[in-house]
Amino acid sequence: MRIAFVILLLLLQGTPARDDGQWTMPAKNNAATRYSGLSQITPANARRLHPVWNFSTGVLGGHEGQPLVVGSTMYVVTPFPNVLYAFDLTREGYPLKWKYRPEVNPAAVGIACCDAINRGAVYADGKIIYNLLDGHTVAVDAVTGSEVWKTQIADINQGETTPMAPFVAGNRVIVGPSGGEFGIYGWAKGLDLATGKILWTAHNMGPDSLLLARPGRGRYTADANIGVSTWEGDSWRRGGAPVWGWISYDPQLDLIYFGTGNPGPYNTEQRPGENKWTNSVLARRPGNGTLVWAYQFTPHDSWDFDSNAEMILVDLVVGGRLRKVLVHFDKNGFAYTLDRATGELLVAEPFANVTWAKRINRSTGLPVVDTAKTTGASRGNVTGICPSLEGGKSPASPSSYSPRTGLFYTATNNLCMNFEATPVTRIRGTPYIGATTPYFAGPGGNMGEFIAWDAVRGRRVWGIKEKFPVWSGSVVTAGDVVFFGTLDGWFKAANARTGKELWKFKVGSGVVGAPISFRGPDGKQYIAIYAGIGGDWFLLSGDVRSDDPADVRPPADFMPDIARHTSQGGIGGDWFLLSGDVRSDDPADVRPPADFAPDLARHTSQGGVVWIFGL
Amino acid sequence: MGGVPASVRYPDHVAAGGNQPPAAELENPIASDSATVADGSRIFSMMNCDGCHGGGATGWVGPSLVDGRWRYGGTDGALFQSIFYGRPRGMPAYGGIMSPGAIWKVIDYIRAQPIPSVVPTQRWTSPETPRRPGRAQTP
Repeated sequence: MRIAFVILLLLLQGTPARDDGQWTMPAKNNAATRYSGLSQITPANARRLHPVWNFSTGVLGGHEGQPLVVGSTMYVVTPFPNVLYAFDLTREGYPLKWKYRPEVNPAAVGIACCDAINRGAVYADGKIIYNLLDGHTVAVDAVTGSEVWKTQIADINQGETTPMAPFVAGNRVIVGPSGGEFGIYGWAKGLDLATGKILWTAHNMGPDSLLLARPGRGRYTADANIGVSTWEGDSWRRGGAPVWGWISYDPQLDLIYFGTGNPGPYNTEQRPGENKWTNSVLARRPGNGTLVWAYQFTPHDSWDFDSNAEMILVDLVVGGRLRKVLVHFDKNGFAYTLDRATGELLVAEPFANVTWAKRINRSTGLPVVDTAKTTGASRGNVTGICPSLEGGKSPASPSSYSPRTGLFYTATNNLCMNFEATPVTRIRGTPYIGATTPYFAGPGGNMGEFIAWDAVRGRRVWGIKEKFPVWSGSVVTAGDVVFFGTLDGWFKAANARTGKELWKFKVGSGVVGAPISFRGPDGKQYIAIYAGIGGDWFLLSGDVRSDDPADVRPPADFMPDIARHTSQGGIGGDWFLLSGDVRSDDPADVRPPADFAPDLARHTSQGGVVWIFGL
Repeated sequence: MGGVPASVRYPDHVAAGGNQPPAAELENPIASDSATVADGSRIFSMMNCDGCHGGGATGWVGPSLVDGRWRYGGTDGALFQSIFYGRPRGMPAYGGIMSPGAIWKVIDYIRAQPIPSVVPTQRWTSPETPRRPGRAQTP
């Protein structure tokens, strides 16, 4: 019994005695630490890292998310059209075992706010499970590549798309939609792992019956129907609160944790009130979706500060006692440490340059807002808001935590913005935004920094400044090496204790994905990362092309096996919106650079490549 | 108005897009002047066009409409059909949501935007490159 308890505690902290060498879920473990127990790569030998393999995905969209490694197979999901590749790591050149090519409605591309990205798959029960952009979740047999089930979970006609990575807790697959810029009515759903059947749907606002909240019961203590009373009229019905980020799970407390996104529209005057539970963390029972507690980071959001970033579950000594906490780096620039059993706020300190609020009041849990930075259509152009709506950190770039150093590692953005809101009309299936928000670099001029963070004291320990915003995830290893990528296409290793840069390699395109670490069939430790190639081969051999579900072509007769070894090949995500000049795949769409990063296209272009590095 | 065939289902069609437009070439019945361009600019924002194509139509998740390049043809009639019937990679069908007159004004607005004479990524001037002597510095 005692042994079982210790093992469970260790697993929860992401520190199993011996890492199994796999990477079977988006954030490595239920606690979302992205910590790898592999230790062959060290600060002493990291300079010997070199590429051992790469593969172009054939898709030019932003390559967010991360591969999975299950046994001796690596799985990669591409951006739209969401091709799933299965690579055989036991054979030279890691050829494909199979590739699964779903039918995906291309109309979804126009409903995706911010490039047609995908944040990855999860492995469970012999299945690779992931979301298609057009509102479907699919489960694919991990051995054969055949579809096991496919469930429609979202409706693109309502502005919903589904690029997030599903999460598996017990026998439930948890999913949610994007669409905070389309006036959706946000939700999370629990699907049956075996069949894909939708077993519960829990909305993020609206009456308690739809929130699946029972005030006075359990630990949920909010006022009855707070999801209606904190909105004007029925504005909650189109109030956003998408679920496009990461999910974590504490099996002991039997709670899943996820963040909700911004309220819509951006024009605050069309939705008076605190707008609960937008920009919040929700703790729910995975079995039936019941809401146990919730905490709102940015009430009545005036700046598009989604809270979809990961909730990392660790046990830390805070105020002299060991607490089960969750740590969250919010777009609003504050890093939060909460008691994950109750939602009690323990620490909230800025990790980025913040001007919209002076601080977070720990006893009320509310931000002390600088009202001069509050936006709205009647307030005109509000200037000098930091962070920008890219966030002090993007939820798209998940952090990591090392139980060895006790530190959190995260990408950050040093951008500010002006914000001019305008009234907007909801037209179903079209953008519902209502703001113009130009960006500029924050103090110091560097637009990004990769930092190490002490979540007990709420302070930064070290940082590596970057010219461009840092938009990659990270992985930290038992060798005390942390890996991250840069927007201009460098993949880097740093000493997790000191922040000293150990090694870097130019991976061919900007990094917006998250690295993983795994043990190969040869027993060696490897690091894999997405970057964004192309060429004449899609003309000559149609099957190397993966960018169109309505265009699946036969191989060339003179090289029928080519598609097993290469594909057309991502900087992307918001960066395709902001810096259109990094894009090269459309002769009918030639864009100017972003004014705050006019030379990014000098350093990188779109196009997706998966890389693996070893010693 | 404008000889528009009324054969699209509304409003369920809005997010679908991509119905095959008729082969007939339509002509813009509204002469462009500063008033129609201003109206078109307002409608462009009001109908959430800027949500996808960006403020000033310079491109966002949808393509730039002011680079002089077109996926589906650049005549007034082709633009009308793109807006009215939608296009398959995400352009919603606005027929039935916008009146034909409003669509023509948006086209007048797009037409009034200047097309840049230089492709923006043709060259870069490196800040590290020494400047030629005698050339004035600009702040």
